Amino acid sequence: MQFSRNWLKDFIDLNISTEDICSQLTMAGVEVDGYDSFNSKLTGKDSIIKLDITPNRGDCFSVYGVARELSVINNLKLKHPSFKPIKSSFEEDIKIKVCKEAPIYIGRSIKKINLKAKTLPLVAERLTLSDQKLIDPVVDITNYILLELGQPLHAFDRDKLEGNINVRKAKRVESLVLLDDQEINLSQDCLVISDERKPIAFAGIMGGKNTSVSPKTNSIFLESAYFKPSVIRGRARRFGFQTDASIRFERGVDYEIQTLAVERASEILHETVGGDFGTIQESKLKKELPKARKVSLDLDRANMILGTNITSLKAKKYLKGLGMDPKGSPRKLDLTPPSWRYDIEIEADVIEELARLEGYDSLPTRALEPKLKIKSESKEKVISSSLVSQGFSEVINYSFISEDDEIVFGESKKMVEVENPISQNMRFMRSSLFPGLINTFIHNLHNGLESQKLFEIGSVFSHKKSKKPSERIRVSGLIYGDVASNHWLDKPRKVNFYDAKGVIEKIVSNFDAAINFKPKSSDFFHPGISSTIYNDSKEIGQLGALSPNILRKIGLKEDVFLFSLDTGALKTKSLQKFTQFSKFPSIQRDLSFVVDKDLTSHELSILIRGKGGKDLNSLDLFDVYEGKGIEESKKSIAISLTWQSSKGTLLDSDIDKVVEKIVNSVKKELDGDLRN
Amino acid sequence: MDLKSLKQEISILKSESSTLIDSSNEQDSLDKTYKSFLGKSGEVNLLLKSLGSLPQEKRKEAGMLLNQLKSDIDKSYSDKTSLLSQAENELRLGNQKIDITLPSVPSSDGSVHPVTQTINEISEFFESIGFGIESGPETETDYYNFEALNVPEDHPAKDMHDTFYLKDSGLLRTHTSPVQIRTMENKNPPHRIICPGKVFRKDSDLTHTPMFHQIEGLVVEEGASFAQLKGLLNDFLEDFFGREVELRFRPSYFPFTEPSAEADIKWDKNWLEVLGCGMVHPNVLEMVGVDTNKYSGFAFGLGVERMAMLKYDIPDLRLFFENDYRFLKQF
Repeated sequence: MQFSRNWLKDFIDLNISTEDICSQLTMAGVEVDGYDSFNSKLTGKDSIIKLDITPNRGDCFSVYGVARELSVINNLKLKHPSFKPIKSSFEEDIKIKVCKEAPIYIGRSIKKINLKAKTLPLVAERLTLSDQKLIDPVVDITNYILLELGQPLHAFDRDKLEGNINVRKAKRVESLVLLDDQEINLSQDCLVISDERKPIAFAGIMGGKNTSVSPKTNSIFLESAYFKPSVIRGRARRFGFQTDASIRFERGVDYEIQTLAVERASEILHETVGGDFGTIQESKLKKELPKARKVSLDLDRANMILGTNITSLKAKKYLKGLGMDPKGSPRKLDLTPPSWRYDIEIEADVIEELARLEGYDSLPTRALEPKLKIKSESKEKVISSSLVSQGFSEVINYSFISEDDEIVFGESKKMVEVENPISQNMRFMRSSLFPGLINTFIHNLHNGLESQKLFEIGSVFSHKKSKKPSERIRVSGLIYGDVASNHWLDKPRKVNFYDAKGVIEKIVSNFDAAINFKPKSSDFFHPGISSTIYNDSKEIGQLGALSPNILRKIGLKEDVFLFSLDTGALKTKSLQKFTQFSKFPSIQRDLSFVVDKDLTSHELSILIRGKGGKDLNSLDLFDVYEGKGIEESKKSIAISLTWQSSKGTLLDSDIDKVVEKIVNSVKKELDGDLRN
Repeated sequence: MDLKSLKQEISILKSESSTLIDSSNEQDSLDKTYKSFLGKSGEVNLLLKSLGSLPQEKRKEAGMLLNQLKSDIDKSYSDKTSLLSQAENELRLGNQKIDITLPSVPSSDGSVHPVTQTINEISEFFESIGFGIESGPETETDYYNFEALNVPEDHPAKDMHDTFYLKDSGLLRTHTSPVQIRTMENKNPPHRIICPGKVFRKDSDLTHTPMFHQIEGLVVEEGASFAQLKGLLNDFLEDFFGREVELRFRPSYFPFTEPSAEADIKWDKNWLEVLGCGMVHPNVLEMVGVDTNKYSGFAFGLGVERMAMLKYDIPDLRLFFENDYRFLKQF
């Protein structure tokens, strides 16, 4: 809401600068967004003050409300809105029926108005300064009262009304064309104003087109009603809009100002468009009005919570100023919140009022005593450190991805879809981190980064059996380009599968996990250069070269390697205790086997480990060779084996026997042989 | 052989070895020369073997002479060795020189995203005074995101959060407050926790991205007060920015805190909003079964990107999610 500073003068004699007004309001919780200076021909030097009002302070949605707040802050008298009553010249014959959601409805007819009259200059200026469009004198005056008192008014074209007014819930099938020409289908929890034949307004939100004031209007019927916030809340939003009226009603309008608003409007209407005024028709359901709810305040508790020492005298002064009528004993006050404050329901609300008036800044400050807590490092942090030390840079991508990406890289058959996405290419919740990594990689490639190591740690989403999506935390990475940077000492080498595999193994070495790699993985990987990662028998990740089909689409020739690991399966390492190392010498033997090309090194290693005996300490594969000197369908694998015992010095002759056993098994079980 | 010819032989070997050792210019040839005299089948050893052919009474003298020869050769060998190594050393010192201005072998360390880095920095402060770090799901139910936080259905406060809803059920959390509720449901007070994580709001312009990061903190203890909240946030902000900061608190509104406050810091002569906070609303505590006669609590929340932008002078929010290496590698 924005308004002219000089308008405040109608209600309060406040001789401080606009700057100070703004600062006072902001520090009292009625935030001022800013103000602009304005020179008025009517009122002199003026400013436009722009407020950003929080949902709890509906009472500040009017110039009068703001003046009231300022009067409390400055301990000044508030001038109540006054009016010159306009005498009626006829008896109102339209009867009004209200309901419990609308316990007050006040109407007044004005006949034979002059719509050609001009809106009063001051009214027009103030509306303009409040960013209100000028429409016609009648609508302008209703808008003026809304801004002045916070009471929304509506004017119907009286000649278009058919019979009496009924405020009621909408019928099961009922539609209404609103002032702005949109047709809405009301639901039964919406409130409408109707005459005897048709709905004429979406109560508290917007009037109907069928009864609206037009240039031809001769008589009007003015509405000033009180609608309960609960019957307005969310209703306009359901149709995707809000109005100045709905914003006020849903936050709560003072239920004691409806008549005042009609009288004030009458006064200005009389001066502007003239006409014959009817009697004021009031319909009220008193027992449905908000109850003046009593709130009690334990002053000692308030002081404990705020860390203050506010005396009973001071508290009473503050609360009286706020219109809360403090009673009861000095330390336990009984309060009655005023009709304009909907946000004072419990003690905590009153404590905030005391804090506001005391000034948040003058409340005491005390340090929070430190407490000891045993720290534990999160898995994500461990993984991140490992990757950073391996040269990877962390990226953070949106959790939203496009349908295309989700189809190519998604793992879930049923995708997690956002009902109201911000754009079409952010319509799904990612079930893979790869699309984001690839997009980031391409962005950076286009910007000249030819070797990249990227990773991301984040949640991935999928639909399992239940309706609620399941989430897993995953780490994924991408490697591309040369292993070493282009440095004068190093010869660059292109990254390969084994670089990526090493990264995975290094991450996993920080955890209690026994992983193994099995060939082949998802379709978006190269079928011959990819692997699924298992922890025991549970699938926990993937690794491989991006499929050439996708590379071609991106327009890339070189391989891109990707890996992913679900962190849930990784168990934090238990405390590492010392183990005694052997004091005895070790024996090393290098063996080179010729085996079938298709045999995996894993199969060979497993066999050797099985036959190598308990003292086989390490097994290092140091060469793989295919080509000259080796049969076409074969390859040679060279392995260095080391034996060491913790009990004594091993004998060459014993190791010879073990080696013979190994060689025989390789011959028998894997159809391999020692290379000559 | 007699002693005389042995003596002759020794004198020949002595001069021969001396000449050869002297003329050796490399350690290798020196070693070879040495071996040819004193090795297993070297000249001196051969002479030693021939001692047996001498008469008994001459052997002692002959042995002494041979030992003398041996130690003479040893000495000249070791002298020569040290001479050679000294020469080699001088050669190395004199000839070897590198261009120390050539580029170093670069460190291969990667980088942590500034958002994560900021979360870590903030977490460290709070951990040091006894806060635990809690996390929770990013897809949430209406209950945890709103209802349990005292935001009823259709309440205008919901407008403060433009919520993304999921097609089948649930929503994307608009703040990390649901983690506070989940923690209070699962554990008994006292509580000191912070909850970092991604949050989602349907908003996208220069200063808003539909996803960003938040850290929220919660303290529920006997006697927790607004004064402590002010003190804590002041200490935190000074720790974070590494200098004294001018801080002001002003009333605000959040459905889940009462009193509620916004904290602003003075930044280039202007007040900048950096934190929302307040005393936990009694309704929120009661809903998770905390005895409000015994415990009170306070909570606060901040936007991680915003804090990082201030601290590191980052001009544009969108840089965080573009992941341009020229941005990332600066941190």
